[in-house]
Amino acid sequence: MDKLQGRVWIFDDNVDTDQILPGYAMAEDASKLAAFAMAGSKVADFAKQVQAGDIIVAGKNFGCGSSREQAPVALKSAGVGMIIANSFARIFRRNSINIGLPVMLADVGAKLQNGEVVSVDLETGEIHTATGVLNGQPLSENVLATIRAGGLINRVRQELNISSGRKS
Amino acid sequence: MNFVERSLAEAAGLLTVTVGQDVRCRVDLALSHDVTAPIAIQQFEQIGVDRVFDPAKVVLVIDHIFPAATVQARTSHWIMKDFAAKYGVTLYSKSEGVCHQLISERHRLQPGQILVGADSHTCTAGGYGVIAIPVGSTELAAAMATGTIDLEVPETIEVFMTGELRPYVSGKDIVLSLMRQFGVDGLTDKAVLFTGPGIAQLPVEERMTVCNMGIEMGAMIACFGGEAKEEGVAASIPLDLTQIEPMAACPFSPANVRPVAELGDIAVTQVVVGSCTNGRLNDMEKVVNVLRSHKVHPDVNCLIIPASKQVLDAMEERGWTKILRDAGAVVANPGCGPCFGAHQGLGTERDTIVTTTNRNFPGRMGHRAAKLYLASPATAAESAVVGKITTPGTLQREVG
Ligand code: SF4
Repeated sequence: MDKLQGRVWIFDDNVDTDQILPGYAMAEDASKLAAFAMAGSKVADFAKQVQAGDIIVAGKNFGCGSSREQAPVALKSAGVGMIIANSFARIFRRNSINIGLPVMLADVGAKLQNGEVVSVDLETGEIHTATGVLNGQPLSENVLATIRAGGLINRVRQELNISSGRKS
Repeated sequence: MNFVERSLAEAAGLLTVTVGQDVRCRVDLALSHDVTAPIAIQQFEQIGVDRVFDPAKVVLVIDHIFPAATVQARTSHWIMKDFAAKYGVTLYSKSEGVCHQLISERHRLQPGQILVGADSHTCTAGGYGVIAIPVGSTELAAAMATGTIDLEVPETIEVFMTGELRPYVSGKDIVLSLMRQFGVDGLTDKAVLFTGPGIAQLPVEERMTVCNMGIEMGAMIACFGGEAKEEGVAASIPLDLTQIEPMAACPFSPANVRPVAELGDIAVTQVVVGSCTNGRLNDMEKVVNVLRSHKVHPDVNCLIIPASKQVLDAMEERGWTKILRDAGAVVANPGCGPCFGAHQGLGTERDTIVTTTNRNFPGRMGHRAAKLYLASPATAAESAVVGKITTPGTLQREVG
């Protein structure tokens, strides 16, 4: 569960939430958001091409702009397995983790090719390519716990059950 | 430890914390509004608890789209009404004001307390020393259920203010100057702490304006401390307030900041004064000072949106709403107004709008090509009269 494998999609700096999920798609039902994933970006037909487990690799400040959770939800439901970037806008990063979509800090965009397959170890931060290993920042224990639970809601459910279990 | 770290340590029940440490903090107030609450409520229901952690500490505000401009907006109101009735939490549903202003008036937290809000401008509460954390809907749902939030202790950047502001310069110009310096991601994941002898001249309302745009620089926390230098900050950046002049953020980024005096002739078609950034009584006073003796330019729509009913009441008591209307402005009901482009004053590609709000991304207030300039209430007011973007003091000096 802490290892992911997928094809790489390379994006630039400052991909904002309007690129990830355009404003006009906000009114769509949650079940339809996937069709609009990255529709405002340079890869407008991303939703058609993406395969389950694919990995977005971006530059600085990924997810800046609005705090709306629909943006990471669209990526996750389109099949995106995780996002790697030099940096993330904080609320987007938190929203992603909270819905169970892993995000990792790493400066690897220039070292990877669009479409190449990599496997990522969330615990060690290692990104394995066909030719070698690149290093990202390992996910913290706390973040891993949320990802392993499948998101914050599940984690809270587990924790509340655990604590009531202890009391009885 | 600095003020932010001391506050986080106390909320986590720890004696000390260090940068990067994961801590679980007690939540003193959980806030959401009609855009974020419906998803938070849906997520909350999935957790499966039968109560919120403390009904007195959960507040819902209908401020973004009221009165409902769409059927969907009204549906969101009903979801919130049902939730408030079921769990006994506080709901403001009658245009009482923008959530950030409203909680400062009716649920005012103490310095160092923890506010969690499902809105990016939750940082506004840093103006009165609150550690205010903006979150998404799911995190808010978890906070409503558990009364806690997991945080990573951020690095703190101190902005140490000295000097006296010049006439017609205010908190908005301070924060726009900082935007120019830090850019849209210069403070990502960091806390920014405002200190120094210069803060003494800033009333809480102005401090709220400064903190409000902390998120525009990516900050996790923005708040005011005391006048003394803080211990244990990652960097201390001096800011001489004497040097600050009236500033505007030009299309289409809040960091695209230039002095108003350098902008040249830019014709204006709409002026908006309001929002959680600049919709308070001190902001309205600056507009009234101009419109008391000048009329709004014939080519300009001038929209005044008090940030709360309390602000509107105080304006009425002073006879200000009549002065504003007689000068040709429209005074709308308290709330977000056109700030995020949902209703009440959207622009087309033919519009150039001077607004006291906090974001000027393409399409933020209507058409993607509507040009938005972020500025102070004083700049907005004089621009409304002249019909061009105008350095404040131009008109007022002529009269004075
Ligand atoms: S006034 Fe504008 S920035 Fe403030 S909460 Fe409302 S929409 Fe957001």
